[in-house]
Amino acid sequence: MKTKALLTATIIGLSALLVWLSAFWEPITPKRVTEVPTHNRLAASGQAQGGDFTLQGPNGPVSLKDFRGKVVLLYFGYTFCPDVCPTSLSLMARALSALTPAEVERVQGIFVSVDPERDTVKILKAYAPFFHPRIVGITGTPEQVATVARLYGASYAKQPPNAEGLYTVDHSSVTYVIDTEGKVNARLPHASPVRQIVEAVRPLLAAKTGG
Amino acid sequence: MKILFRHLAILLAAAASLPAFAGDTDITIADPYVRMVPPGTPTTGAFMVLKNGSNADRKLVKADSPVARSVELHNHINDNGVMKMRQVAEVDIKAKGETALKPGSYHVMLIDLRQTLKEGDSVPMTLTFDDGSTRKIDVPVKMPQAMMQMDGDHGKMKH
Repeated sequence: MKTKALLTATIIGLSALLVWLSAFWEPITPKRVTEVPTHNRLAASGQAQGGDFTLQGPNGPVSLKDFRGKVVLLYFGYTFCPDVCPTSLSLMARALSALTPAEVERVQGIFVSVDPERDTVKILKAYAPFFHPRIVGITGTPEQVATVARLYGASYAKQPPNAEGLYTVDHSSVTYVIDTEGKVNARLPHASPVRQIVEAVRPLLAAKTGG
Repeated sequence: MKILFRHLAILLAAAASLPAFAGDTDITIADPYVRMVPPGTPTTGAFMVLKNGSNADRKLVKADSPVARSVELHNHINDNGVMKMRQVAEVDIKAKGETALKPGSYHVMLIDLRQTLKEGDSVPMTLTFDDGSTRKIDVPVKMPQAMMQMDGDHGKMKH
């Protein structure tokens, strides 16, 4: 009789655990930051207006502030990404190649990895400049990366791993065009053609900078 | 006895021709390439145009390649600017039609590469279709910049 009571208690306990698990437990912390509504010109107000940040680069910290006086092309992605990120970075690279040497001196590409668990600074050092020497790969702790993504309205969400434990990351694929004073000027949607990137950059280079 | 041998010969010939028959797919492959990725990058994608010359709808159901530990068929969903990559069981190729595996859309995902793929390398790949037919292809590895030129900037699809 005692065993039966014990068994019942165990079953109840396990059921409760199961209910709790299915309701609250998440195998992977969701990194979804904010849903990106649309990727067009910057809204007049509201969040996700961009701003300064510092993350780790190949030779130590990299801050957006370091590039005052330059136009910055900012992209959030991850190196495991087989298609979307290489496409975006290739387009960015081709846009950089389309600029004159004097122009390209004043443009900086930044690739922020939203997968800091796998993308070490060392991996990013090999990855980003492969597309173009003026693209730097940076990342930070998951919290730091989340803060920067939130600042820009970039979203990403790690997907459940496959049988081999490999996972992909859903992410917004937007190239943020940041002017010489560190303000977001345009958000270019995924696969924006080279010409469009160049046309977004050139006027900002021509504009007088306030220092 | 002689008759038996003849039968056996016919049978053998038939058996031998079977794999060849199965391999004789109506699907032709145009412009295949594997995207060259930075050294050490564990994944990449293969792209191509699948042309179905037959009167029956076909599906690409599998791709294999010795260069990667696992090979999957994937698609991208652009969900309001968020690119979601998902594995798919099959890729439809309509009768007398064609389906492009291209950036931002369907692709063969090579996962956990066994070696760094360099420009000019050739990646052997076997494609399997829903009728059991297969096609072996050699897919050249291309630099993203050169490749993007080929993909064109929306509309300029001429190679």
